[in-house]
Amino acid sequence: MRALLLAWTLAPLVWQLYSSLVTPEALVDPGAVAPGAFWTLENYRQLLQADPPIWRYLLNSTIVGAGTTALTLTLAVPCAYALQRLRGGLRWLATLALLAAAIFPTVLLFLALLQLARALGFGNQLLALCLPYTGLSLPLAVLLLRAAFADLPPELEDAARLEGLNLMARLRHVLLPLLAPAMGSTAILVFLGSWNEYPIALTWISRPELLTLPPAIARIAGSSLFTVPYGAFAAATVLGSLPLLLLVLLFQRAIVSGLTQGAIKG
Amino acid sequence: MNPLPTMDAAQERPGLRLDAVSRRLGERCLLDALSLSVGAGECLALLGPSGCGKTTTLRLLAGLDPVSSGRILLGGQDITDQPGGQRQVAMVFQSYALYPHLSVHGNLSLGLRIRGVPLREREQRIASVLELLQLSDLQQRRPAQLSGGQRQRVALARALLRQPRLVLLDEPMSNLDAQLREELRPELRRLLCGGEPPVIYVTHDQQEAMGMADRIALLRDGRLQQLGTARELYAKPANRFVAGFLGRPAINLLPPEGGRQLGLRPEHLRLVNEGGLPARLQRREWWGSQQLLWLETPRGELRMLLGAQIELGEGLQVGWNLDDELWFDAAGGERLDAVQADG
Repeated sequence: MRALLLAWTLAPLVWQLYSSLVTPEALVDPGAVAPGAFWTLENYRQLLQADPPIWRYLLNSTIVGAGTTALTLTLAVPCAYALQRLRGGLRWLATLALLAAAIFPTVLLFLALLQLARALGFGNQLLALCLPYTGLSLPLAVLLLRAAFADLPPELEDAARLEGLNLMARLRHVLLPLLAPAMGSTAILVFLGSWNEYPIALTWISRPELLTLPPAIARIAGSSLFTVPYGAFAAATVLGSLPLLLLVLLFQRAIVSGLTQGAIKG
Repeated sequence: MNPLPTMDAAQERPGLRLDAVSRRLGERCLLDALSLSVGAGECLALLGPSGCGKTTTLRLLAGLDPVSSGRILLGGQDITDQPGGQRQVAMVFQSYALYPHLSVHGNLSLGLRIRGVPLREREQRIASVLELLQLSDLQQRRPAQLSGGQRQRVALARALLRQPRLVLLDEPMSNLDAQLREELRPELRRLLCGGEPPVIYVTHDQQEAMGMADRIALLRDGRLQQLGTARELYAKPANRFVAGFLGRPAINLLPPEGGRQLGLRPEHLRLVNEGGLPARLQRREWWGSQQLLWLETPRGELRMLLGAQIELGEGLQVGWNLDDELWFDAAGGERLDAVQADG
């Protein structure tokens, strides 16, 4: 069963990796290719030598992703704390509004967002992308962090308050360290959302050197109008997944470490 | 049940005074006009069933929740509107509320650091309190790596480091097993009571309240039922609830007759040869040195506590001293004086 699940999850990735490493002919009909003409790094060479090279897009996406994540967490943490402290109908209403915002279909927004970008002169500004991305990821981030705040035993903050810690000190020394796992997983989700976002990036950015990865991949051209560059797509996807893979591996331990153990009698 | 001497003591050494303190949440009244005073160094237990307002009172004293009306005075100074962080109170929580991400040392030093105590003094104070509570070997451990008793000692250490003007304890032993609880009681008293700060000890365990506290305030539904020493509360309960809450096994309440109700404590009953209440044995429990009998009598079921060595003969008869009778108003439950009871 486990093996089946693993295969189900990994098969597309393996297929991408395979596609990125073979010649177009081998991809179409593996039997008909001479042994020497099967494996190739041509797809990667093409991406790295293109103008601008692929690492430029990776860098752009990383900048936008990091900016979005930082901005989102900065805004979401106080929001979530306040929401957790609200009592009665107001809290219910705020949570409902956030939920509604979180499930609102993004596609319906991007035309309006484009108008906004025009009016504010945000076109072709890489960092400006952080603003809509933050807006889109905030509701989910606030809800996730609110749940994490709710999981912390309230006596911890009471104890800190009685020790003379003001709100900032309580957040910095007590609450946020305990929230680190939740913040890590939230950060990954936000980063992922920004990394994969397509329509807004497509419409806001037109200069090639400012493109983020998704629209850049879509722009990869084949040798003629009628060939689909499967190999190059696959190679770009593989390269685009690597930073995320790295990120998850790095954060994984923090996420599962279960830092709150022993706070109260277990 | 004579509050005058303690009031005088409180004025001599100004401790804590509550003046008609209430806490309301919407329609609900969690605490109804509680007035009492606790002298410096005195340990007062807030006792009562869950939901009686004892933890509410503690949180008001700590400044964690706002008072709806009334005044709180500490050392003669009105602290009603002072935020918790400025009151210089120490509180030991039921769950201990240790910071799980910090070591024992980190738990103790955080508050001192934030309050700007210089490093040198900080380390000295921590070292001395660690020694006092025999925690020196554990100072690098995280709370998760400590036993329940050790966690409680760390929580105590943190409270002592606060150099508090008022010490609040919220069921500090309810997470420990019975044996450890008994061992820790004198240690807690030694560490906390008898110094300058008044000590408020919240518990639902009458044994603990009687063992720890100089006086007990018994609460029910946000109202003070009686304030006095354990002895006073036991011997002269203000009402039926107090009589029923204190004492194990619980007091026998006979069916009301003529607007009055008789209460008899199981330990005050004895076997007599003649002139007593005829009784039939229903059930028997052995409590080590004592035996608890469930008896059926013409005046209802009675529980009776006897020495374990006493043999039961045929035709049991139960008697008691008239002095041990506790009479209550059948409707309101207030205890009636002997004179009233006779009339």
